[in-house]
Amino acid sequence: MKAVITSIVVAIILALIFSLPALAQESGTITITMTGVNEISISLDKTQWPLGNVASNTEYETSPPIEWCTLTVEGNYNVNTFIVGEDAKWVDNPGAYKWTLSNDGTNGENVYGLWFRISGDTARGYVPVTKTESEFWPYAGGSGSSLAPGDTKQFGLRLLTPTYFVGGRQMQTQITISAVAA
Amino acid sequence: MVGRIKLAGLIAALLVIFLPSFTLSQDVNFGVAPAEVKIDNLPPGETTEFELTINNKDAIAHVFTFTTFQPPEEERREGRAEFPDDSWISFSSQEIEVPANSQANVTVTVAIPQEQKWAGEDWETWLGVAAESSDLLGVKLYVRLLVSTNPLVRSKSNAGLFAGIAVAVILLGCGAYYYFRRKAKPE
Repeated sequence: MKAVITSIVVAIILALIFSLPALAQESGTITITMTGVNEISISLDKTQWPLGNVASNTEYETSPPIEWCTLTVEGNYNVNTFIVGEDAKWVDNPGAYKWTLSNDGTNGENVYGLWFRISGDTARGYVPVTKTESEFWPYAGGSGSSLAPGDTKQFGLRLLTPTYFVGGRQMQTQITISAVAA
Repeated sequence: MVGRIKLAGLIAALLVIFLPSFTLSQDVNFGVAPAEVKIDNLPPGETTEFELTINNKDAIAHVFTFTTFQPPEEERREGRAEFPDDSWISFSSQEIEVPANSQANVTVTVAIPQEQKWAGEDWETWLGVAAESSDLLGVKLYVRLLVSTNPLVRSKSNAGLFAGIAVAVILLGCGAYYYFRRKAKPE
Protein backbone atom coordinates (compact mmCIF):
# COMPACT_ATOMS: atom_id res chain seq x y z
CA MET A 1 0.00 0.00 0.00
CA LYS A 2 2.92 2.27 0.90
CA ALA A 3 4.37 1.76 -2.55
CA VAL A 4 1.15 2.77 -4.20
CA ILE A 5 0.88 6.00 -2.19
CA THR A 6 4.55 6.79 -2.85
CA SER A 7 4.19 6.22 -6.58
CA ILE A 8 1.06 8.40 -6.75
CA VAL A 9 2.82 11.23 -4.90
CA VAL A 10 5.90 10.91 -7.14
CA ALA A 11 3.65 10.87 -10.20
CA ILE A 12 1.84 14.04 -9.13
CA ILE A 13 5.11 15.82 -8.31
CA LEU A 14 6.67 14.88 -11.64
CA ALA A 15 3.54 15.89 -13.51
CA LEU A 16 3.55 19.26 -11.79
CA ILE A 17 7.27 19.79 -12.51
CA PHE A 18 6.66 19.27 -16.21
CA SER A 19 3.31 20.95 -16.61
CA LEU A 20 3.41 24.00 -14.33
CA PRO A 21 5.82 26.06 -16.44
CA ALA A 22 3.68 25.33 -19.48
CA LEU A 23 0.54 26.37 -17.66
CA ALA A 24 2.20 29.49 -16.28
CA GLN A 25 3.16 30.63 -19.76
CA GLU A 26 -0.47 30.53 -20.79
CA SER A 27 -1.58 32.79 -17.97
CA GLY A 28 -0.42 36.19 -19.45
CA THR A 29 -3.15 38.51 -20.68
CA ILE A 30 -2.48 40.61 -23.79
CA THR A 31 -3.85 44.10 -23.43
CA ILE A 32 -4.39 46.55 -26.28
CA THR A 33 -4.86 50.16 -25.34
CA MET A 34 -6.17 52.52 -27.99
CA THR A 35 -4.98 55.94 -26.89
CA GLY A 36 -6.67 58.86 -28.54
CA VAL A 37 -9.72 57.17 -29.99
CA ASN A 38 -10.41 60.58 -31.46
CA GLU A 39 -8.68 60.84 -34.79
CA ILE A 40 -5.44 62.39 -35.95
CA SER A 41 -5.88 64.59 -39.02
CA ILE A 42 -4.28 67.47 -40.90
CA SER A 43 -5.28 69.21 -44.10
CA LEU A 44 -3.57 71.38 -46.74
CA ASP A 45 -5.46 74.07 -48.61
CA LYS A 46 -3.25 73.70 -51.70
CA THR A 47 -1.74 70.60 -53.21
CA GLN A 48 -0.62 71.81 -56.65
CA TRP A 49 1.96 74.25 -57.95
CA PRO A 50 1.41 74.80 -61.69
CA LEU A 51 4.81 76.05 -62.81
CA GLY A 52 4.62 75.46 -66.54
CA ASN A 53 7.90 75.72 -68.44
CA VAL A 54 11.03 76.24 -66.39
CA ALA A 55 14.60 77.12 -67.33
CA SER A 56 17.74 75.44 -66.09
CA ASN A 57 19.64 76.67 -63.01
CA THR A 58 16.82 78.99 -61.99
CA GLU A 59 14.97 79.55 -58.74
CA TYR A 60 11.18 79.57 -58.58
CA GLU A 61 9.14 80.48 -55.53
CA THR A 62 5.51 79.99 -54.76
CA SER A 63 3.40 83.12 -54.62
CA PRO A 64 3.06 84.40 -51.98
CA PRO A 65 6.49 83.01 -51.07
CA ILE A 66 5.92 81.86 -47.50
CA GLU A 67 2.16 82.01 -47.09
CA TRP A 68 1.27 79.98 -50.14
CA CYS A 69 -0.22 76.95 -48.41
CA THR A 70 -1.91 76.57 -45.05
CA LEU A 71 -1.59 73.41 -42.98
CA THR A 72 -4.43 73.01 -40.46
CA VAL A 73 -4.66 70.49 -37.63
CA GLU A 74 -8.12 69.03 -38.16
CA GLY A 75 -8.22 66.20 -35.64
CA ASN A 76 -8.41 66.54 -31.89
CA TYR A 77 -4.92 65.42 -31.07
CA ASN A 78 -1.71 67.47 -30.82
CA VAL A 79 0.67 66.56 -33.62
CA ASN A 80 4.30 66.80 -34.68
CA THR A 81 4.71 67.26 -38.42
CA PHE A 82 7.39 66.19 -40.92
CA ILE A 83 8.24 66.74 -44.58
CA VAL A 84 9.90 64.55 -47.19
CA GLY A 85 10.53 64.87 -50.93
CA GLU A 86 11.47 62.52 -53.75
CA ASP A 87 13.13 62.49 -57.15
CA ALA A 88 11.17 64.17 -59.96
CA LYS A 89 10.25 61.62 -62.62
CA TRP A 90 9.45 61.98 -66.28
CA VAL A 91 5.69 61.53 -66.51
CA ASP A 92 5.77 59.69 -69.85
CA ASN A 93 8.40 57.16 -68.74
CA PRO A 94 9.18 57.38 -65.01
CA GLY A 95 11.81 54.66 -65.15
CA ALA A 96 13.80 56.24 -67.97
CA TYR A 97 14.56 59.74 -66.75
CA LYS A 98 14.53 61.66 -63.49
CA TRP A 99 15.87 64.64 -61.66
CA THR A 100 17.51 63.58 -58.40
CA LEU A 101 16.48 65.57 -55.33
CA SER A 102 19.63 66.92 -53.68
CA ASN A 103 20.15 66.46 -49.95
CA ASP A 104 21.13 70.07 -49.26
CA GLY A 105 19.00 72.18 -51.60
CA THR A 106 21.77 72.68 -54.15
CA ASN A 107 21.54 71.71 -57.82
CA GLY A 108 23.67 69.99 -60.46
CA GLU A 109 23.24 68.15 -63.74
CA ASN A 110 19.82 66.48 -63.49
CA VAL A 111 19.89 67.30 -59.78
CA TYR A 112 17.38 69.75 -58.38
CA GLY A 113 16.92 71.52 -55.05
CA LEU A 114 13.71 72.01 -53.13
CA TRP A 115 13.14 74.20 -50.09
CA PHE A 116 10.30 75.14 -47.77
CA ARG A 117 9.87 78.10 -45.48
CA ILE A 118 7.30 78.48 -42.73
CA SER A 119 5.81 81.91 -42.19
CA GLY A 120 7.19 83.42 -39.00
CA ASP A 121 10.08 80.96 -38.79
CA THR A 122 12.90 83.48 -38.95
CA ALA A 123 15.35 81.17 -37.19
CA ARG A 124 15.52 78.58 -39.94
CA GLY A 125 14.46 80.56 -42.99
CA TYR A 126 14.37 78.33 -46.07
CA VAL A 127 15.01 74.66 -45.19
CA PRO A 128 15.95 72.02 -47.80
CA VAL A 129 13.41 69.31 -48.48
CA THR A 130 15.26 66.00 -48.78
CA LYS A 131 14.45 62.36 -49.37
CA THR A 132 14.77 61.73 -45.63
CA GLU A 133 11.77 62.61 -43.51
CA SER A 134 12.72 65.67 -41.49
CA GLU A 135 11.01 68.00 -39.02
CA PHE A 136 8.49 70.46 -40.40
CA TRP A 137 7.06 71.75 -37.15
CA PRO A 138 8.14 71.75 -34.35
CA TYR A 139 11.87 71.29 -34.90
CA ALA A 140 14.80 70.42 -32.63
CA GLY A 141 16.37 73.49 -31.09
CA GLY A 142 13.36 75.65 -31.89
CA SER A 143 11.10 77.27 -29.36
CA GLY A 144 7.89 76.03 -30.99
CA SER A 145 5.75 73.28 -29.57
CA SER A 146 3.60 70.63 -31.21
CA LEU A 147 0.55 71.83 -33.12
CA ALA A 148 -2.78 71.70 -31.29
CA PRO A 149 -6.18 71.09 -32.88
CA GLY A 150 -7.19 74.16 -34.87
CA ASP A 151 -3.60 75.43 -35.18
CA THR A 152 -2.38 76.47 -38.61
CA LYS A 153 1.02 76.91 -40.25
CA GLN A 154 1.52 78.77 -43.50
CA PHE A 155 4.46 77.90 -45.70
CA GLY A 156 5.89 78.30 -49.17
CA LEU A 157 8.21 76.39 -51.50
CA ARG A 158 11.27 77.21 -53.55
CA LEU A 159 12.49 75.16 -56.52
CA LEU A 160 16.03 75.30 -57.88
CA THR A 161 16.12 73.62 -61.27
CA PRO A 162 19.08 71.47 -62.41
CA THR A 163 22.06 73.14 -64.07
CA TYR A 164 21.36 70.87 -67.03
CA PHE A 165 18.39 68.72 -67.95
CA VAL A 166 16.80 67.17 -71.00
CA GLY A 167 14.23 69.64 -72.25
CA GLY A 168 10.68 69.12 -73.36
CA ARG A 169 9.85 66.51 -70.77
CA GLN A 170 7.04 66.80 -68.27
CA MET A 171 8.44 66.14 -64.80
CA GLN A 172 6.50 65.29 -61.70
CA THR A 173 7.38 64.93 -58.04
CA GLN A 174 5.64 64.77 -54.68
CA ILE A 175 6.28 66.33 -51.30
CA THR A 176 4.65 64.52 -48.40
CA ILE A 177 3.75 66.29 -45.19
CA SER A 178 3.09 63.86 -42.37
CA ALA A 179 1.80 64.05 -38.84
CA VAL A 180 2.03 61.87 -35.75
CA ALA A 181 0.51 62.18 -32.29
CA ALA A 182 2.78 64.39 -30.17
CA MET B 1 23.15 85.96 -86.36
CA VAL B 2 23.80 82.23 -86.64
CA GLY B 3 25.21 82.30 -83.08
CA ARG B 4 22.04 83.95 -81.78
CA ILE B 5 19.85 81.33 -83.45
CA LYS B 6 21.98 78.56 -81.91
CA LEU B 7 21.69 80.18 -78.47
CA ALA B 8 17.92 80.51 -78.82
CA GLY B 9 17.73 76.84 -79.82
CA LEU B 10 19.78 75.81 -76.82
CA ILE B 11 17.59 77.76 -74.41
CA ALA B 12 14.49 76.24 -75.96
CA ALA B 13 16.00 72.79 -75.51
CA LEU B 14 16.61 73.45 -71.83
CA LEU B 15 13.07 74.48 -71.19
CA VAL B 16 11.01 71.81 -69.54
CA ILE B 17 7.44 71.54 -68.47
CA PHE B 18 7.61 71.11 -64.72
CA LEU B 19 4.41 70.16 -62.98
CA PRO B 20 2.03 71.68 -65.50
CA SER B 21 -0.90 70.67 -63.37
CA PHE B 22 -3.60 73.09 -64.34
CA THR B 23 -6.27 70.67 -63.30
CA LEU B 24 -8.60 71.50 -60.46
CA SER B 25 -7.06 70.99 -57.06
CA GLN B 26 -8.04 67.76 -55.34
CA ASP B 27 -7.39 68.49 -51.69
CA VAL B 28 -7.12 65.43 -49.54
CA ASN B 29 -8.79 65.64 -46.18
CA PHE B 30 -8.89 62.52 -44.04
CA GLY B 31 -8.35 61.30 -40.51
CA VAL B 32 -7.17 58.11 -38.82
CA ALA B 33 -8.18 56.72 -35.44
CA PRO B 34 -6.81 55.82 -33.00
CA ALA B 35 -3.76 58.04 -32.90
CA GLU B 36 -1.81 55.60 -30.74
CA VAL B 37 -2.05 51.85 -30.08
CA LYS B 38 -0.33 50.22 -27.11
CA ILE B 39 -0.02 46.44 -26.94
CA ASP B 40 1.18 45.04 -23.62
CA ASN B 41 2.22 41.59 -22.50
CA LEU B 42 2.39 40.06 -25.98
CA PRO B 43 4.30 36.75 -25.67
CA PRO B 44 6.79 35.91 -28.44
CA GLY B 45 5.10 33.25 -30.55
CA GLU B 46 1.71 34.93 -30.12
CA THR B 47 -0.32 37.04 -32.58
CA THR B 48 -2.73 39.86 -31.90
CA GLU B 49 -4.72 42.29 -34.02
CA PHE B 50 -6.57 45.59 -33.89
CA GLU B 51 -8.41 47.90 -36.26
CA LEU B 52 -7.60 51.33 -37.70
CA THR B 53 -10.45 53.52 -38.91
CA ILE B 54 -9.88 55.75 -41.96
CA ASN B 55 -12.30 58.65 -42.24
CA ASN B 56 -12.47 60.13 -45.76
CA LYS B 57 -13.83 63.65 -45.26
CA ASP B 58 -13.62 64.53 -48.95
CA ALA B 59 -16.48 64.76 -51.42
CA ILE B 60 -14.72 62.20 -53.65
CA ALA B 61 -13.52 58.64 -53.07
CA HIS B 62 -9.84 58.08 -52.29
CA VAL B 63 -7.53 55.08 -52.29
CA PHE B 64 -5.52 54.85 -49.08
CA THR B 65 -2.29 52.89 -48.77
CA PHE B 66 -0.70 51.46 -45.62
CA THR B 67 2.96 51.23 -44.72
CA THR B 68 5.19 50.91 -41.69
CA PHE B 69 7.86 53.44 -40.82
CA GLN B 70 10.76 53.26 -38.38
CA PRO B 71 10.87 56.63 -36.62
CA PRO B 72 14.23 58.08 -35.60
CA GLU B 73 15.21 57.57 -31.97
CA GLU B 74 14.43 61.16 -30.96
CA GLU B 75 10.84 60.79 -32.15
CA ARG B 76 10.12 57.60 -30.23
CA ARG B 77 8.47 57.51 -26.82
CA GLU B 78 10.89 57.36 -23.90
CA GLY B 79 12.27 53.89 -23.24
CA ARG B 80 11.12 52.52 -26.59
CA ALA B 81 13.51 50.72 -28.92
CA GLU B 82 13.28 50.31 -32.68
CA PHE B 83 10.80 47.65 -33.78
CA PRO B 84 13.03 44.77 -34.97
CA ASP B 85 11.26 43.71 -38.16
CA ASP B 86 8.45 45.39 -40.11
CA SER B 87 7.48 42.05 -41.64
CA TRP B 88 5.96 41.12 -38.27
CA ILE B 89 3.23 43.66 -38.98
CA SER B 90 0.65 43.06 -41.69
CA PHE B 91 -2.47 44.83 -42.91
CA SER B 92 -5.67 43.06 -43.98
CA SER B 93 -5.24 44.99 -47.23
CA GLN B 94 -2.33 47.04 -48.55
CA GLU B 95 -4.75 49.59 -49.96
CA ILE B 96 -8.41 50.37 -49.56
CA GLU B 97 -10.82 52.61 -51.45
CA VAL B 98 -12.99 54.71 -49.17
CA PRO B 99 -16.06 56.39 -50.71
CA ALA B 100 -16.70 60.10 -50.23
CA ASN B 101 -17.58 61.14 -46.69
CA SER B 102 -17.27 57.58 -45.45
CA GLN B 103 -15.24 55.49 -43.07
CA ALA B 104 -13.51 52.14 -43.51
CA ASN B 105 -11.55 49.84 -41.24
CA VAL B 106 -8.34 47.98 -41.83
CA THR B 107 -7.13 45.19 -39.55
CA VAL B 108 -3.52 45.28 -38.39
CA THR B 109 -1.92 42.03 -37.25
CA VAL B 110 1.20 41.91 -35.09
CA ALA B 111 3.00 38.55 -34.87
CA ILE B 112 6.16 38.17 -32.79
CA PRO B 113 8.41 35.18 -33.62
CA GLN B 114 8.78 32.58 -30.92
CA GLU B 115 12.30 33.32 -29.73
CA GLN B 116 13.52 34.05 -26.22
CA LYS B 117 15.51 37.09 -27.42
CA TRP B 118 12.25 38.93 -28.22
CA ALA B 119 10.87 38.47 -24.69
CA GLY B 120 10.53 41.41 -22.31
CA GLU B 121 11.09 44.14 -24.92
CA ASP B 122 9.49 47.58 -25.44
CA TRP B 123 9.35 48.69 -29.08
CA GLU B 124 7.82 51.44 -31.18
CA THR B 125 7.03 51.72 -34.86
CA TRP B 126 4.66 53.94 -36.87
CA LEU B 127 1.87 52.85 -39.18
CA GLY B 128 1.51 55.21 -42.13
CA VAL B 129 -1.78 55.92 -43.90
CA ALA B 130 -1.59 57.98 -47.12
CA ALA B 131 -4.09 58.93 -49.78
CA GLU B 132 -2.88 58.14 -53.29
CA SER B 133 -2.48 61.35 -55.28
CA SER B 134 -0.54 62.71 -58.22
CA ASP B 135 -0.51 66.23 -56.77
CA LEU B 136 2.68 67.94 -55.67
CA LEU B 137 1.69 67.95 -52.00
CA GLY B 138 0.49 64.84 -50.24
CA VAL B 139 -0.49 64.03 -46.68
CA LYS B 140 0.45 61.01 -44.61
CA LEU B 141 -0.80 60.29 -41.10
CA TYR B 142 1.13 58.08 -38.71
CA VAL B 143 -0.32 55.98 -35.89
CA ARG B 144 2.13 55.24 -33.09
CA LEU B 145 2.30 51.49 -32.39
CA LEU B 146 3.86 50.62 -29.02
CA VAL B 147 4.51 46.91 -28.44
CA SER B 148 5.69 45.37 -25.17
CA THR B 149 6.40 41.66 -25.13
CA ASN B 150 5.81 39.24 -22.29
CA PRO B 151 8.98 38.11 -20.45
CA LEU B 152 7.94 34.50 -21.13
CA VAL B 153 8.03 32.86 -24.54
CA ARG B 154 4.84 31.05 -25.46
CA SER B 155 5.63 27.34 -25.85
CA LYS B 156 5.20 26.00 -29.35
CA SER B 157 2.76 23.38 -28.08
CA ASN B 158 1.71 22.13 -24.67
CA ALA B 159 4.64 19.71 -24.73
CA GLY B 160 5.41 20.21 -21.04
CA LEU B 161 1.84 19.56 -20.06
CA PHE B 162 1.58 16.45 -22.22
CA ALA B 163 4.92 15.13 -20.92
CA GLY B 164 3.76 15.63 -17.34
CA ILE B 165 0.50 13.83 -17.96
CA ALA B 166 2.31 10.99 -19.75
CA VAL B 167 4.77 10.56 -16.86
CA ALA B 168 1.91 10.62 -14.37
CA VAL B 169 -0.05 7.98 -16.30
CA ILE B 170 2.99 5.72 -16.66
CA LEU B 171 3.89 5.98 -12.98
CA LEU B 172 0.30 5.44 -11.87
CA GLY B 173 0.05 2.46 -14.19
CA CYS B 174 3.26 0.96 -12.81
CA GLY B 175 2.08 1.60 -9.27
CA ALA B 176 -1.29 0.00 -9.91
CA TYR B 177 0.31 -2.97 -11.64
CA TYR B 178 2.75 -3.45 -8.78
CA TYR B 179 -0.05 -3.10 -6.19
CA PHE B 180 -2.45 -5.52 -7.83
CA ARG B 181 0.31 -8.01 -8.50
CA ARG B 182 1.32 -7.97 -4.87
CA LYS B 183 -2.29 -8.23 -3.78
CA ALA B 184 -2.86 -11.17 -6.09
CA LYS B 185 0.15 -13.08 -4.66
CA PRO B 186 -0.93 -15.83 -2.28
CA GLU B 187 0.18 -15.20 1.33
